[in-house]
Amino acid sequence: MRIVCPFCGERELGEFTYLGDAKPVRPEAGASEDEVFDYVYLRDNVAGETSEYWYHGGGCRTWLKVTRNTLTHEISSVEPAAGAGAAKVGA
Amino acid sequence: MAEFSWAPRSSLEKALVAGAHGTRGIEAGISLTEIRNFDLIQVMARRGQAAELAKVAKARFGVAAPNAPKAIQTSDATLIWSGPDQFFVLSKGGKHTMQTLATSLSGPASLSDQSHARVLISISDAKARAMLAKLSSIDLHPDAFAVGAAAATSMDHTSVTLWRGGDRDGLAVFNLLVFATFAESLWHMILDSAAEYGVDIGHSKEF
Repeated sequence: MRIVCPFCGERELGEFTYLGDAKPVRPEAGASEDEVFDYVYLRDNVAGETSEYWYHGGGCRTWLKVTRNTLTHEISSVEPAAGAGAAKVGA
Repeated sequence: MAEFSWAPRSSLEKALVAGAHGTRGIEAGISLTEIRNFDLIQVMARRGQAAELAKVAKARFGVAAPNAPKAIQTSDATLIWSGPDQFFVLSKGGKHTMQTLATSLSGPASLSDQSHARVLISISDAKARAMLAKLSSIDLHPDAFAVGAAAATSMDHTSVTLWRGGDRDGLAVFNLLVFATFAESLWHMILDSAAEYGVDIGHSKEF
């Protein structure tokens, strides 16, 4: 598998580390125990398109959000994760 | 109180044995030169300050700093892309040090002195590409990796910064920055990969 880093171009899998599902959003402070449990532990086991966080640690050290189909391994989009690269963050 | 004299020593001080290595009786196909005594400063834009850093850097160096994987030669330094909104300033002779760069760049950027944290290896001669192909998955064909191309990548599971300098005697020169503590390991891997081509090993204080 290869990932096209938006900064470096196409690179082999060995340069990247997988973090996990990019969908869960950290609940607001004061959220219920169920919401926090869901955020920390519960994951969908999707057969199809998922979004995931990958880290280009063997390259430009940027966090990426990768949209990948778990059935075909086809990657349909790779974009910098929020906060990747100082220019991408609001001043 | 005891007086200490801290003499800088290369991380390859022991591992690097100048002279011929590998196959003998043929003309060396690989030239390996460790460059010593350089100044290397990493410049990273502060949050939201990338545009300002680009402006200030252009005023400081006379050319725009790289905003894509490239190495840009100025009159007295090489600016090498190391990631989004960050680059290295490689120079010698104290022209671009923390002190001299901080005055103009420390507003929009964080500076970090890497002079003694990296080892710089210059790889050239006829078989350089063939040897690097064993270590790197980057396409180093002249059409894909021209003079001035750079890459933040991995070799032998070790993060490196690779870029192509100006040609020497019509042959490509590849420069490699590697973390000092990983340098000896990678150096041995390079020697093993290069041995079949015959290697000429040396070190220099000149780029």
